[in-house]
Amino acid sequence: MEFDLDYLMRQIPALRAGLALTVQASALAILISIAIGLVGASVRTLRLPGLAHLFVAYVELIRNTPLLVQLFFIFFGLPAVGLTLSLFWSGVLALSLWAGAFQTENIRGGLAAVSPGLSEAARAVGLTRAQYLRLIGLPLAVRTGLPAMLNTCVSLIKNSAYLSAIGVQELTGVAFDRIASDFRAFEMLAVLLVGYLSVVLSLSFAVRGIEYRLQAPFRR
Amino acid sequence: MTLIIENLPLFLIGLRATLILAAITLAASTIIGVTLGVLATLPSRAIRLLVALYVETLRDIPLIVTIFTIFFGAPFAGVPLEPLPAVAIGLSLWGGANGAEIVRGGIQSVPAGQAEAATALGLYRWQVYLKVLLPQALRAVLPAYTGLLALIVQSTSLGALVGVTEFLKAGGLVIERSTVMQGINPSFQIYGFVLLVYFAICSTLSFASRRLNRRLSAGAQGRAISVPDASRL
Repeated sequence: MEFDLDYLMRQIPALRAGLALTVQASALAILISIAIGLVGASVRTLRLPGLAHLFVAYVELIRNTPLLVQLFFIFFGLPAVGLTLSLFWSGVLALSLWAGAFQTENIRGGLAAVSPGLSEAARAVGLTRAQYLRLIGLPLAVRTGLPAMLNTCVSLIKNSAYLSAIGVQELTGVAFDRIASDFRAFEMLAVLLVGYLSVVLSLSFAVRGIEYRLQAPFRR
Repeated sequence: MTLIIENLPLFLIGLRATLILAAITLAASTIIGVTLGVLATLPSRAIRLLVALYVETLRDIPLIVTIFTIFFGAPFAGVPLEPLPAVAIGLSLWGGANGAEIVRGGIQSVPAGQAEAATALGLYRWQVYLKVLLPQALRAVLPAYTGLLALIVQSTSLGALVGVTEFLKAGGLVIERSTVMQGINPSFQIYGFVLLVYFAICSTLSFASRRLNRRLSAGAQGRAISVPDASRL
């Protein structure tokens, strides 16, 4: 069986729709996960009683369980207790919660790297801990943690392929649907290979570029 | 809870398959990882480039795509594969890529003087690797390798998607069975239970990895090898 370019061309509309879904789900999940990360890192740094422990448990749970099981728990498990989300939003929620745990750690790492002199100075001029975080700590932490945060975003985009497991017709879902129905493999596999590699590699290069730029003030 | 106890045999079958799959993958990943890891430290630029190409490709493609490609692509290549071998191959190719990075880091963490001294003493290159570099790298790679094992255990759950009755699939079967026979939907409890069992296994491994890292870094020389994180999945 050889590579059939005409066949591939005919599949482009379906693939484009799949890619659009991949991009939408990833973009939403990236935004939500960063929000979770900002809250989580703040809560843990402020050592809010109870809440801080909750976030530790959350991060550990996510890191030590398979994303696929998390996804199944959200998509099949939550409706059983009356919490029904649509297919798409189940997927977005699973990806957000998964990446949120890593973003929490990334931003917390960034906060830990902020010089303690700044937090002391903030207290000396009368800022509360929350004001310190909002005005000084978090902006600096995001700057320091940006490469790690972007790497998590890259992984998130890659892992949006998991959504095909619950039937979301994103890029991987569309491609394997076609393979099953048209009994042609090479074209679709080539699309997936080129598609994911180009997205992940170009983003990885961008991350490296940003890392280099962020280091600029500290280079001699 | 009674549902879990009633279906314990099925869960145990699933858990057994998960552990077997993880063991096969660990063994095969080690073979690929050590081979490629050593190749990546050789002076030949062409070889290093090829290894880097393999490692990057396998790590940048979603693992689910790799496994689907092998399982659904095998018949096209004329060698239909059973689900279990197909998943084992996919996981091993991916695990080998991660293993290669760890082994390469381990070998490079051995001070350069060691290889130079061994060469000066007249050892062949294979002797330098086998008798000097790899034994010392072993110590350095242990924490990262334990972390990789935790990731492998997590990834075996992908087997459920192509029909391997591993632990996640066993949970799915229990849910199906009780939905059909008793008319209840225990998805929340069963998938919650599955989540907790994976957590128990993987957090133990992560804990071991962290402890090893602390113990080894106390007296370690050279740079540390980063422990692979679940975000690399």
